[in-house]
Amino acid sequence: MPASEAVLPADDTALPRTGSDSAESDSAGSGSAGTGRAGTGRAGTAPGNPRTTRTGRRARHRRRLREYALFLALVAPNFLLLGVFSYWPVVYNAYLSLTEWDMIAPVKRFVGLDNYVDLLTGGEFPGVLRTTAYFMVGVVGGSLLLGLAVAVLLNQRLRGRGLVRTMVFAPHVLSGAAVGLAWLFIFDPNYGLSRFLFELVGADSPAWLTDSDRALPAIIVVYLWKNIGFCAIVYLAGLQNLPKDLYESAALDGAGPWRVFRRITLPLLSPVTFFLTVTTIISSFQAFDVIAVMTDGGPGGATTILSWYVYDKGFSDFQAGPAASGAMVMFAILLVVTLLQTRYLERKVHYR
Amino acid sequence: MSVPLSRRRLLGLAGGTALALTPLGCGGGGGSGQYSQPKGDVPAQYRKRQRVVIWYPYTGVTGEAFNRLVGRFNESQQDVYLEAQFQGTYDEVAQKLAAGLQARQIPELCIFSEVSWHRFHLNQTLEPLTGYFTDGFSPTEYVDSLISEGTVRGEVWWVPFGRSTPLFYYNRDMFAKAGLPDRGPKTWDELREWAPELRKLTVGGRAPRLHAYPRVDGDWMFQGAVWQWGGNYSRGMEVAIDTGGAVEAGEWQRRLIHQDRLAYLAESPRVDFTNQLIATLQESTGVMTALTREAKFSFGAAFLPEQKAFGCPTGGGGLAMLAGAPKERKEAAFAFVRFAARPENVAQWSIDTGYLPSTKAAQQTPQLRQLFAERPGYRVAVEQLPKTRAQDQVRLLVPNANKAIYGGLQKIYADNQPAQQVFTAVAEELRRNAESVRDAVARYS
Amino acid sequence: MTTRLRRFGLHLLLALLGVLMVGPLYWLFTSSLKQSADIYTFPPVWWPGSLRWDNYPEAWRAAPFADFFVNSAVTTAAGTLLEVTNAVLTAYAFVYLRFPGKRVLFAVLLSALMVPGHVTLLANYLTVADLGWINTYQGIIIPGAASAFGAFLLRQHMLTIPTEIVEAARADGAGHLRILYRVVLPLSRPMLITVTIVSLVGKWNDFIWPLIVTNTDTMRTLPVGLLMLKQADGYVNWGAVMAATVFVVLPVLAVFFVAQRHIVAGLTQGAVKG
Repeated sequence: MPASEAVLPADDTALPRTGSDSAESDSAGSGSAGTGRAGTGRAGTAPGNPRTTRTGRRARHRRRLREYALFLALVAPNFLLLGVFSYWPVVYNAYLSLTEWDMIAPVKRFVGLDNYVDLLTGGEFPGVLRTTAYFMVGVVGGSLLLGLAVAVLLNQRLRGRGLVRTMVFAPHVLSGAAVGLAWLFIFDPNYGLSRFLFELVGADSPAWLTDSDRALPAIIVVYLWKNIGFCAIVYLAGLQNLPKDLYESAALDGAGPWRVFRRITLPLLSPVTFFLTVTTIISSFQAFDVIAVMTDGGPGGATTILSWYVYDKGFSDFQAGPAASGAMVMFAILLVVTLLQTRYLERKVHYR
Repeated sequence: MSVPLSRRRLLGLAGGTALALTPLGCGGGGGSGQYSQPKGDVPAQYRKRQRVVIWYPYTGVTGEAFNRLVGRFNESQQDVYLEAQFQGTYDEVAQKLAAGLQARQIPELCIFSEVSWHRFHLNQTLEPLTGYFTDGFSPTEYVDSLISEGTVRGEVWWVPFGRSTPLFYYNRDMFAKAGLPDRGPKTWDELREWAPELRKLTVGGRAPRLHAYPRVDGDWMFQGAVWQWGGNYSRGMEVAIDTGGAVEAGEWQRRLIHQDRLAYLAESPRVDFTNQLIATLQESTGVMTALTREAKFSFGAAFLPEQKAFGCPTGGGGLAMLAGAPKERKEAAFAFVRFAARPENVAQWSIDTGYLPSTKAAQQTPQLRQLFAERPGYRVAVEQLPKTRAQDQVRLLVPNANKAIYGGLQKIYADNQPAQQVFTAVAEELRRNAESVRDAVARYS
Repeated sequence: MTTRLRRFGLHLLLALLGVLMVGPLYWLFTSSLKQSADIYTFPPVWWPGSLRWDNYPEAWRAAPFADFFVNSAVTTAAGTLLEVTNAVLTAYAFVYLRFPGKRVLFAVLLSALMVPGHVTLLANYLTVADLGWINTYQGIIIPGAASAFGAFLLRQHMLTIPTEIVEAARADGAGHLRILYRVVLPLSRPMLITVTIVSLVGKWNDFIWPLIVTNTDTMRTLPVGLLMLKQADGYVNWGAVMAATVFVVLPVLAVFFVAQRHIVAGLTQGAVKG
């Protein structure tokens, strides 16, 4: 899931492309569908025969209908599945968010907006949003910064960089549950690597996962370890695509490397940065497996981010209402992120 | 990547997908009254028997013992095959069952903890058992205080299985080296006074700490602490965790952790105890056998320390039957309830695990008498039993009360938040959730 | 001199980076070969004195990993096949077939990408429960069998295939399915591989959905089984749990090393060309 989720917005980044070539796609569609154009051609060569034209038109019409049918047949399974398991759940979830239901009782009690009022006015939810915000800043900011740094390093002509690139990227494809288990043992203050590293400098290892102040940073570290590779690889591709001539002229102007980086590289990479920001935001919102294995959202709610909250309320407390309304909040936030992204891309298109 | 896709296969695939989804349009199986059984594996020699399923939470040594018990049952049977399916912790068993009820796929038998059986009872998903007690088998064979917890208005809803109480375990080797008496402390304050002696030791490069509190399910042990400090989680259904003894107990533990630095929040206090990171441990009687096997030192078991008073809750499991299954499967499933209550099986289960012998006859079996003589630790639990009592109602009856409380404890243990502040918030949540069951409690219990 | 020093420093950084990234995996693999005594010991054992391969059979026995493997393999293979098939058919239809309102439909398809998995969790559970699919293969597979992103990527790729080639095939009298299979698919090979692998890895690692939708060991997948093993034996038998973790990680790492190029290509596709 993480891999596919992580790459989601690639499409949207490429939206300007989609926009420009959707016209092309239509022409390609009718062109390659062939029948249409070929038919017209044939009709053109035999203008004098009205019967051929009529049968031709009818044949064309039939062919077109057959094409429509084929189109439907090809896309139907996909759209059916999307309808049932992607669109309908949003509607149903919206309904559930207006009810009180323990998932055992036969009836759901309609309570209007009560769940939302409860979420926003009291209890743990504001804390959950705060924790989510910290988590997002840590993971998204950290992945981008460190990813860029790693990419710059990997972009140097160094021996062994291919190998290191592989090493950096490998964690990205691993199961979060497995990664969580491996790190659980690393963070253990009594038996883990952490104790050793801290005793090297004569200190006691913090009890990472059972300490409210440290559990979230620990989780963030794990997600960084998993995410940096992805950001680095994408940045690296971006760096390698930069126009060389700009750098040559900058070198002629005598600009220092830091200045070149800030004035030329960073601005040129901004579409990549934007893409990565959106992807990591979306994938981080779904962060779940590492938390499930390492902390169960604890201690004392210290690692309860929105995704854990939704799961915990739904599938361990069996409070469908709060779970569903929490999920709607998540949906709303992601919707805003996506809209911002589209706005940004539109602007970019105008600048072109 | 050339997947050979012929036209026929392509269409077949698409059609198959569409076909597979059609039941949705007709409302699926949700409306009908039938519950299906979870799938599983039946060994060839048992294929012809009536299959029944039990969901259980036991792991490690206890899990092995449970599977042996089930194995003996299956050997003893001609007609019934019982399949034991592991579902995670007690809470996870309850979660899976609730999800299963929703999906109309349930086992016949289920082992609940004391905090979840009420929820299923109040939702009328459990089968009343009194009618199944026939042929000289009677509920009175169980220890009175234990079976009474599962009896509501004269009807038996679950029988004790894997019942336990917390016990106080201590590392005898450490106590001896530190010059401490070979017994548990009388009060928590006494234990705290022993700390300096224990802190002089070095085990594995570190001075051991006094005690550790568990990350999950600490609210069971804390029920005892609340009573020891003269408080309550609740009086009847009136929440009292934000007052008096409960807050004092929380503050005492908070000081032990954050000021004295003698205790800490642990992933698993039991593992830390076996690895001698801590000198004392509060744990279920049910880990006695596992501890005996794992610990490389001699340990003692004692009554829980007192403070203002003695306080020790019962806890552990109950064996219940789900009402939704067809009659013949329920009949078959009860054979296991009967089997598990035979004196020799109760005794063996206790020996294998450390759980309390749940029937009167079992306590008199030669096996258990011998065990009590050889390993006094096992006897301590039985001796402590008459002094224990059922927990405060709110923890037992209010959905997710245990999670709310141990979540609060985590804030005290891990985040050093004042007990009063934490328990005020917990109390608020408990009161809110109590509302949702108040009617049902009045009606059914 | 300074350049040499600088280059040395950079190599050092590179090495450090490598260690940081591989360290946790090294610790995982070596721990999986340690005796219990070596695990609960301090200072840590960097390389286990005597390799305890027994952890592997022990883990294999502690939980029915053979079943987990089969379940993971079946759900991953079937799920990927369905998802990729959906992606291919949808992409082809959108590129090569006419249909009124096609563009709107495409926007609808893409909007599925905005629905995060956690929003659909509860409702999908209830739907699958209504279908009677709890604890079945179809319950694990079908909700993830649709493809929006894969279809998008493949569509973008198909648009770059020169129309003349397709025209030529059509002139030879080839029908749509023949063109798809003989012309378009071979030409879309790199993207097809990318889409397949991304789907494959995603399904192999999927956690929350199989966790919710399965409830017996006979149906659990590897990551879920791993969590169960941790609950059961976690702190008592770390060696076996680490060994089990290796079971889960190894196949993906193998695929990764073989197909790294394609994964990277796929992931960087949209980003850089945008």
